Amino acid sequence: MAEIDMTFFVSLLAHTVQAGTPFVLGTIGEIYAERSGVLNLGVEGMMAMGALTAFMTSFYTGNLGLAIALAMIVGGLVSLIHAFLSITMRANQIVSGLAITILGLGLSGFVGKPMIGMTAPRLGTFPIPILAETPVVGPVLFSQDVLVYASILSALVLWFVLFKTRPGLNARSAGENPAMADSLGLNVYLIRYLCVLFGGVMAGLAGAYLSLMYTPLWIEGMTAGRGWIVIALTIFATWNPLRALLGAYLFGGVYALQFRLQAIGIGTQAPQFLIMLPYLTAIAGLVLISAEAVKRRIGVPTALGLPYVRGES
Amino acid sequence: MRSLHLTFEPRLAISRAMTITVPVISLVLGFLSAAPLFLAVGVNPVLAYRQVLGVFLNVDGLTESLTRGIPLLLASVGLCLPFKMNFWNIGAEGQLFMGAFAATGMVFLLPESSAFVLLGSMMIAGFIFGGIWGLIPAYLKARLEVNEVLSTLMLNFVAILWVDYLVYGPWRDPKGFGFPLTPMFPPNARLPWIPGTRIHAGLVIGIICAGLVYVFLARTKWGYELNVTGESRLAAKYAGIDYLKLTLLVMFISGGLAGLAGMGLVSGIVLRLRHGISPGYGFSAIIIAWLARLNPLAAVPVSILFGGLLVAGDALQIGLGLAFATSLVFQALILLFVVGGEMLTRYKLALTWE
Amino acid sequence: MTPPSKELLVQMKGIVKRFPGVVANDHVNFELRAGEVHGLLGENGAGKTTLMNVLYGILRPEEGEIYIQGKKVDIGSPREAIGLGIGMVHQHFKLVEPHTVLENILLGLKEPAFILNVKDAANKVLEISKRYELPVDPKARIWQLSMGERQRVEILKALYRGASILVLDEPTSVLTPPETRELFRFIAQMAAEGRSVVFITHKLDEVMAVSDRVTVLRAGRNVDTLQRKQLDKTKLASMMVGREVLFTLRRKPVIAGETVLDMRQVTVMGDKGFPAVKNVTLAIREGEIFGVAGIAGNGQRELTEAITGMRPIVSGEVRLCGNDIGRESISHRIEHGIAYIPEDRVGVAAPRGLTVAQDLVLRKYREKPFSNRVLLNPHEIGDNAERLIKDFNIMVSGKDALARTLSGGNLQKLILARELSGSPKLIVAAYPTRGLDVGATEYVRGLLLRQREAGAALLMVSEDLDEILSLSDRIAVMYGGEIVGTFSASEANIEQIGLMMGGSLRRP
Repeated sequence: MAEIDMTFFVSLLAHTVQAGTPFVLGTIGEIYAERSGVLNLGVEGMMAMGALTAFMTSFYTGNLGLAIALAMIVGGLVSLIHAFLSITMRANQIVSGLAITILGLGLSGFVGKPMIGMTAPRLGTFPIPILAETPVVGPVLFSQDVLVYASILSALVLWFVLFKTRPGLNARSAGENPAMADSLGLNVYLIRYLCVLFGGVMAGLAGAYLSLMYTPLWIEGMTAGRGWIVIALTIFATWNPLRALLGAYLFGGVYALQFRLQAIGIGTQAPQFLIMLPYLTAIAGLVLISAEAVKRRIGVPTALGLPYVRGES
Repeated sequence: MRSLHLTFEPRLAISRAMTITVPVISLVLGFLSAAPLFLAVGVNPVLAYRQVLGVFLNVDGLTESLTRGIPLLLASVGLCLPFKMNFWNIGAEGQLFMGAFAATGMVFLLPESSAFVLLGSMMIAGFIFGGIWGLIPAYLKARLEVNEVLSTLMLNFVAILWVDYLVYGPWRDPKGFGFPLTPMFPPNARLPWIPGTRIHAGLVIGIICAGLVYVFLARTKWGYELNVTGESRLAAKYAGIDYLKLTLLVMFISGGLAGLAGMGLVSGIVLRLRHGISPGYGFSAIIIAWLARLNPLAAVPVSILFGGLLVAGDALQIGLGLAFATSLVFQALILLFVVGGEMLTRYKLALTWE
Repeated sequence: MTPPSKELLVQMKGIVKRFPGVVANDHVNFELRAGEVHGLLGENGAGKTTLMNVLYGILRPEEGEIYIQGKKVDIGSPREAIGLGIGMVHQHFKLVEPHTVLENILLGLKEPAFILNVKDAANKVLEISKRYELPVDPKARIWQLSMGERQRVEILKALYRGASILVLDEPTSVLTPPETRELFRFIAQMAAEGRSVVFITHKLDEVMAVSDRVTVLRAGRNVDTLQRKQLDKTKLASMMVGREVLFTLRRKPVIAGETVLDMRQVTVMGDKGFPAVKNVTLAIREGEIFGVAGIAGNGQRELTEAITGMRPIVSGEVRLCGNDIGRESISHRIEHGIAYIPEDRVGVAAPRGLTVAQDLVLRKYREKPFSNRVLLNPHEIGDNAERLIKDFNIMVSGKDALARTLSGGNLQKLILARELSGSPKLIVAAYPTRGLDVGATEYVRGLLLRQREAGAALLMVSEDLDEILSLSDRIAVMYGGEIVGTFSASEANIEQIGLMMGGSLRRP
């Protein structure tokens, strides 16, 4: 039985941050989409497409910057389908999102089949000078890769944008009371399109992180339900990017713990129960927050999931 | 500045013609839109389509379509119920796995019983365990307003992992070379089948259930309650409908039918429980239910059609080296067109002068 | 209130606005001078709000012209209207509840373009608020504010955008009497500054108190425009209604019977976490109409919801014919004879996606003959529908038509037909004639009186004092969740009721 000591603890935390990063990225995007009133259940599919695109690009060109960029573009394009169906065609947002997920997962499996088991150039770590030397915090927070830093910065910046700027105010209004926003001259449709697009881009980026950094090779089922956990996280975070950061790392911790426990020999008899942890945690979290929400009326965007039609009340 | 606008105007009555043409056109369009994807992976789309159509044009293909359609039929018929009341049961896959698990458990418990007793208890166990798996999210939603999309989904993963634990562990066939599967079922655990094909009794059960669920929806009190609840939960409250009781009942039946689908899989086709016993039937069932516009009778032909798509997917996999995920792509594209086209049944295009 | 100059600020000529099945504005003319307070009077559905929505750019007229200060304009959106100096405060406030006051005021503006500079904006808001004596806290969230405070926010919104023409749509419907006086003071201040106010209302006393001129609309057309000195209550009333208005009592004397509803010390929680109904005690007997007066939002809705089972009670007793129903389900209460005409009618009491026949058994589908234990009886349901459609004259293509195809008035009839047929023991009616035209209103009142004569007990919540006074046997006034006064119809004194409604008087 290996030792559980400070080193274990530090590496666990570092792993937590890495495991949490796709959740940070995905959740921030979903927060914007839902704040504007559109429920995006296609995150899992967009993540899968992002993962695939990033991996393939890296595999064929070795250019990581391009890989990330293309993953974001692909995520965005897929989200536009959902946006078109949900906003312009006023379709049922749940079914539309599901269809996108099935499409994304299917396409990712379809196109990715020949690459199963292969590896591609991965993101390297980028330790920040001086700060990386500090004990504990150094390796955990400052010896990570670029996307980790980007994700934390995004959470902070996007929190500010959402609550302290006009675009954020507009986005929130479109999701709370679209009829009112419309009568004040805001283009609710455009706002929703942009927010859903942003959500898709971030989901694509989250997927890219999975295939370029987190998992060493291309496997089937890369995303393993993380996109769904992003949606759960959006609720836990009460649609607030800062809380999303916390929630994401919490889940990152569950993944990291599960991995490390297996590595030191706990649970090898029945690893499935450890693998179940994130999903059970999600359910437990939903139960807790729902009980709270019923008590304190935590703010679901009022118009979430409802197509906006001018003139219809 | 006045100009001509193209707008959508709500229809006063749902157009009957549209209710049928839209799904059919969506089917065709969805199907055809896969062509560029085939090109992208270097496969001639015409060849691919020929393979797919070929499935329906020969007896073997048709019987296989019927066979593959059985679990789809059972699960999709079940889904018509919760969807009607806007309860988004995305957990049919997990409920199916739990049904398969329970049925297999019965084989381990009563291996010597007569086929009648064993098959009967497998069906009952499959239904009950699938039903229980459906009751959990139902209770969480009705009591605590827990989002059912997420809870049913998470439970999918839990169910799949539970079955994995069993087939990799305590239930693994010692003579199976380490593969994650149980020993083969004895003959008394096999559902009767039509000789020369793999079509098993599940088909009859499925069609009967489709009829029962149709009657349930159209003629019973609960069907009425489902209609009202689907319109508005507040209206249902006003009407005196007990949301908790209704949700529990409906999800028990829905989960139970998915569980039966699982039982049918292990007892009618695969004849053992193994990892990946269902390659996403629970999700395809969602698409089928939606395509069938939540009409259990329409789910019959649609399930057979999708069964055919799965068979074609296999053929494409073997014949053209494509991934199994191909059929998922077809299904998703069809669904996307259906979802988009749905708007046309509720609105009509109009030219206005504003 | 004499304006300094008589230039015509707004001229609307020959406005025609059509909706499917109705001409809301039929060649309507309207004028507004600078510094004028112009009352726009008419009943529900007369076309007043539609006309102003055209001015404000929400609606585009099919015909007609609008001139602002002599120049012809085409107002395509509220943004353009605001640009022309027109501001409108709607009857149903257009505020986003979770946002702050300041966020609501800033929403939709061009400046500041990116970072919301809260301090500058807040200062400007406080400045305007002080100038017009409309106190408000920029950081408060809308859901925390009372209706009167929310209206102030709406007014500030318009003033912040530099409105020189202010349109107020039924502004006093949500105000207490002292708040109404404050509003009138504000209107006078606006007029004295040379700005103009259009005051849409159906209340005669108010329009006479505040206007320089009054334009009366009826059924989408102009009736006439009167100057201040020509204003006369009876004349205005008959112009509004189109015939002699007789405020006569048609209640027959009925001997009240057994006690049907008995509520003691009932407390009910509201949506916001504090009690909406506090220690209410009341009793209603057979053959009695119990009218609950008061400004909407003082607990009336929660009271009706508690009686019908839509909302749980926290403490106290509710007895129906002697039996304690406080913990019973809604279906139990329906079974034991409670009929309910709720305030939120359309989606709740008659789902639009169901057929008319289905809607007509919405509360009773469980009972014989509409169903046995498991199956529905479509024959009986159909017969029931045909009968009710005929008896209540519901305009519909057939019993299997979707409720969606019915007009608002006919949907109301459907709900009333369902709830008022059969022999309910207790009828709970919230604002039963709200939104109905004169003919339908008389019809509904007649139905209620007939049920009373048949021995039903009725609880009627209404904002219309005339309605309460003419229909009720006994009256209670609600304020702040409590009953602040109960008396019989003969003892009713309008002055006192008004004071009670405003919270200034209590008489247990």
